[in-house]
Amino acid sequence: MADVQVPKQQKCIAILWPSFLVAIVATGLFFSAFDPDDLYPFGEQTEISRMGVYSIGFLSFWLVSAVSGIGTLYFAMTNCMRNLPESRDQ
Amino acid sequence: MTNPDTTGPATGSRSDEQVAESLYAKAEKIYPRQVHGLFARLRVLGVLGLLGIYYILPWLRWDGQQALLLDLPARKFHIFFVTLWPQDFFYLAVLLIIAGLTLFFVTALAGRVWCGYACPQTVWTEAFLWIERKVEGDRMKQQKLDALPLNARKFRIKATKHFLWIAFSAWTGFTFVGYFTPIIELGQRLLTFHLGSWETFWVIFYGFATYGNAGFMREQVCKYMCPYARFQSAMFDKDTLIVSYIPVRGEPRGSRKRSDDPVEKGLGDCIDCTLCVQVCPTGIDIRDGLQYECIACSACIDACDDVMDKMGYEKGLIKYTTEHAMKGGKTHIIRPRIIIYAVFLMAIFVAFAWSFSQRISLGLDVIRDRNTLYRETGDGLIENVYILKVLNMDSSGHEYDLRVSGIPGLSLHKDLAVIRVDSGGVLELPVRLRADEADLDARSNDVVFELVATDDDALVAREDARFLGPQ
Repeated sequence: MADVQVPKQQKCIAILWPSFLVAIVATGLFFSAFDPDDLYPFGEQTEISRMGVYSIGFLSFWLVSAVSGIGTLYFAMTNCMRNLPESRDQ
Repeated sequence: MTNPDTTGPATGSRSDEQVAESLYAKAEKIYPRQVHGLFARLRVLGVLGLLGIYYILPWLRWDGQQALLLDLPARKFHIFFVTLWPQDFFYLAVLLIIAGLTLFFVTALAGRVWCGYACPQTVWTEAFLWIERKVEGDRMKQQKLDALPLNARKFRIKATKHFLWIAFSAWTGFTFVGYFTPIIELGQRLLTFHLGSWETFWVIFYGFATYGNAGFMREQVCKYMCPYARFQSAMFDKDTLIVSYIPVRGEPRGSRKRSDDPVEKGLGDCIDCTLCVQVCPTGIDIRDGLQYECIACSACIDACDDVMDKMGYEKGLIKYTTEHAMKGGKTHIIRPRIIIYAVFLMAIFVAFAWSFSQRISLGLDVIRDRNTLYRETGDGLIENVYILKVLNMDSSGHEYDLRVSGIPGLSLHKDLAVIRVDSGGVLELPVRLRADEADLDARSNDVVFELVATDDDALVAREDARFLGPQ
């Protein structure tokens, strides 16, 4: 994180791409262990097809790991970097 | 760089259009020049073979059903004569480990052949480049077209290219979903506009990824996104096959006439035509030495060999070689690294094959009725209720005998006279066990259900359960 001037697009890819890979693995593991038909989110039976649950699961895993990636990127920046004038407007 | 004729990435005048704003980093657009030769033919063979497999495989039939169907909605993977269930997850994981180790082994031995010939990124990029060349013409024409301001002709050509790219990507996305849901029915739903919402989503998602990766990102995927490109050097040693320029032979480089004697002019064999740079799909100069951007596609070998032929020089100024061979030493194919990878690979493969051959294609789950712990029957016996889930993972249907043991005088009662499950079927079977209270040792007693196929004694499944009583 020495380079403060990381392009925004690069940051986006750095967050979205690894989290995408992690989401594939997490989805595979999770749904190998649990059948969507056996899950009752918030105690309710849902009408969503298995394909739908897999998809929602994958997108949720992606979202969660992407959020974690944002956190990593944010905390990897030191305070002095954050206060640099050129990074302030980013 | 002395040759002003070439407009390669390193030399050409840059117009704003040429500096394509790519998704990852600002990078100059690379126009790989078409190349002919032995390795180009090998790659075309690889591309056609792999694309053929990808697009044809889901249409193949086996025993009246799709031969390769990773049926996620039904939670079953049909792979030709094998049907895998979620219980078989272990095998899939081991298969992935074997694939990974194979990649390590091949990398140590032959370098990045995966990247150059077999990686989907390379394969689809080649297909997209082929479409681009058919529509826009060769490298020079593409560069000229991109330098032009937008006019009717440019718009027509670009629109044609993108239409073909998108059509190809959409077909790719459709095929991808066809691996997970029966492709013939999927095609029928597509033609009648009855595609499910998630199916539509995944066709578009995968199609878009193909369009973006093979049409625009291209070499940047290898340079910035590929994990393998980052760690492949760990498998490399001085005996690994690499694509390399031979500087002792080529330097000092310089242009010359065909009739010139290089020795007289004090030149090496490199005529500095920059063709090796122009054909490079990642836009590097192989003459700068081994670089992690190099995907070992050997386009530069083909290009350079051609030039050497024309100049009447010996081929192989750029060639497949090893660090040891370049230093005049001997290349050792058999070496500790190779032996270790090979032994690991063989051991895991043998273990996998053995374990797979021992796989019992019968599954039994016992679920206790959760509502009542036990009840007393009219004739004073204690009764427990269970639901048995019988999974027939075999390729043919079977009838099964059910036995139960663990408590003296335990009796089994079920509504079905015959337990018959078709291939790939699941049977939910409610059963009641009855025992005399006097025979129970404790409040909770262990019982064992045993299911055996009537026509094959080897098809056995056992499952423990608990029998609850008052004391």
